[in-house]
Amino acid sequence: MGLVNFLVYLAIMMGIYGILSLSLNLQYGFTGLANFGQVAFFCLGAYTSTIIVLVFKMPFFFGLLGAMVVAGFFGYIISVPTANLREDYWAIATLAAAEVVRIFFLNEDWVVGGGPYQGGSFGIGGIPQPLRSLFSASTYPFFYLAIVLVCLFATYIVINAITRAPFGRVIKSIRTEDNLPQVLGKNVKRFRMKVMAIGGSFGGMAGCLWAHYHGFVSPNQFLPLETFIIWAMVIVGGKANNKGAILGAVIILIFYNSTRFLKDYLPIEEVTLASLRMVAIGILIVAAMLFMKEGLLKEKKPIY
Amino acid sequence: MLKIENIYKSFGGILALNGVSFSVESNTITGLIGPNGSGKSTLFNVISGFYTKDRGEIYFKGKSIEGTEPYRIAMLGVGRTFQISEVPEKMTVLENLLLAPKRQIGEGIFNVFLHPLKIKAENEKYLKNAYEILELVQLYNLRNEYAENLSGGQRKLLSLGRILMSEPTLLLLDEPTAGVNPTLIKDLIIAIRNLRDEKGETILLVEHNMKVISQICDRVIVLDFGKKIAEGTPEEIQKNEKVLEAYLSGSPKRKAFHEDS
Repeated sequence: MGLVNFLVYLAIMMGIYGILSLSLNLQYGFTGLANFGQVAFFCLGAYTSTIIVLVFKMPFFFGLLGAMVVAGFFGYIISVPTANLREDYWAIATLAAAEVVRIFFLNEDWVVGGGPYQGGSFGIGGIPQPLRSLFSASTYPFFYLAIVLVCLFATYIVINAITRAPFGRVIKSIRTEDNLPQVLGKNVKRFRMKVMAIGGSFGGMAGCLWAHYHGFVSPNQFLPLETFIIWAMVIVGGKANNKGAILGAVIILIFYNSTRFLKDYLPIEEVTLASLRMVAIGILIVAAMLFMKEGLLKEKKPIY
Repeated sequence: MLKIENIYKSFGGILALNGVSFSVESNTITGLIGPNGSGKSTLFNVISGFYTKDRGEIYFKGKSIEGTEPYRIAMLGVGRTFQISEVPEKMTVLENLLLAPKRQIGEGIFNVFLHPLKIKAENEKYLKNAYEILELVQLYNLRNEYAENLSGGQRKLLSLGRILMSEPTLLLLDEPTAGVNPTLIKDLIIAIRNLRDEKGETILLVEHNMKVISQICDRVIVLDFGKKIAEGTPEEIQKNEKVLEAYLSGSPKRKAFHEDS
């Protein structure tokens, strides 16, 4: 049973990170927006849903909706001042924005308003799981997995549809430079803002799913490190390929969790192993960039 | 169609445009020539909104296009190509053409889900258009190739085809025949003429190939050192002393300039 539980946990994480990776792939892979603050959407989604469900006592569905709206809106507003920045400056600006979000939640405990829940650096616990009472402790993870997979599927459908549509052509054309799309009458800034809003709302969705699965959120779960794990997924899986983004999430998470088992075979302490896995992911990113520039699944070429 | 009045533009100490004025009548082909550095490309960039002018007025269809962003100017119907053809990464030749039409329904996120049939119909219409244009610029066989793999000359043709897809009313072409082989230049000349005669387009083009200029242009405007030095029919321009001087570096002023530098 232990192994089954672990596999269900792993599948749920793959689903959640798959959504994050699809979202980053839309921003970076298709539109060329090097978002180094993807974790901000994740964090905002997790906290928004937590507050809606826990403080305002509303059902999970509203938490999910709220998470998507708030994170999407955040994506939209951070792209207002930054939409004309070049790729590298964009990366710095988004990295900073993500830290602002994290530090905000680290320092504010009014968000849960002196109730029974601690905010700030203590995090917020006791987040209810949707429809928990209908299932037993052993069957509930399967139900939650189903929710996550439905969300992942919906994300894939939406992002795949818009990237194949004429909208997708426009965002691909702004990936390299702005002059050409502008000459064709495309409002480059608006397209960037739209992409950030969609990317943000799916990032928020992932955050909500994460918070209700673990039942606990705290600012130190949303360090910039998370962003780079999502980046590794996009780079390894394949830039501008939606299936690749999901494949990347699966591979990186297998890699990330394999250390649990390696400890039985390697003469290295568990703590050291846990740290080494970040090194391993770093090596994986570099290797992918050097030897497999396009990732495992290449960008699809539409043939007519 | 296009009226340019007293345009000034300087970069640091260099006066790139020094009070240029002229107008382009609709349904004509106007050539813009001049030695390197005479301000032709700067003028194109000012008209299409990439540079802000220091002084002067530009009227398109009688309306001033003061301080308007490039994409808005494009939406008004001013299309342009670049001297060095820019191609987006990982987009096929055909995708490049399909990108061009303005106000596509499928560019809206919600429309993707609300009007899938309309988008499909729209796509088919543009696809038919694109095939015609691909035949015209002789890139049909390369339609599924990534545009970044095309040669310089082929990129020129692609950018011409792409801007035609966007159906501008005024077309600014920056050296459309540079790097294109002579046989194809003949076809391009016919194609550009057809744009004027059949589609009623107005074209302003920068070109160094005098053969092309004399074969297609109704009027020619000559720039030198950011100033208009001559204007007239191709025949008149070819006999104009000032123009010959500018091109052959015969004037004392230019000699002095060259000795200085």
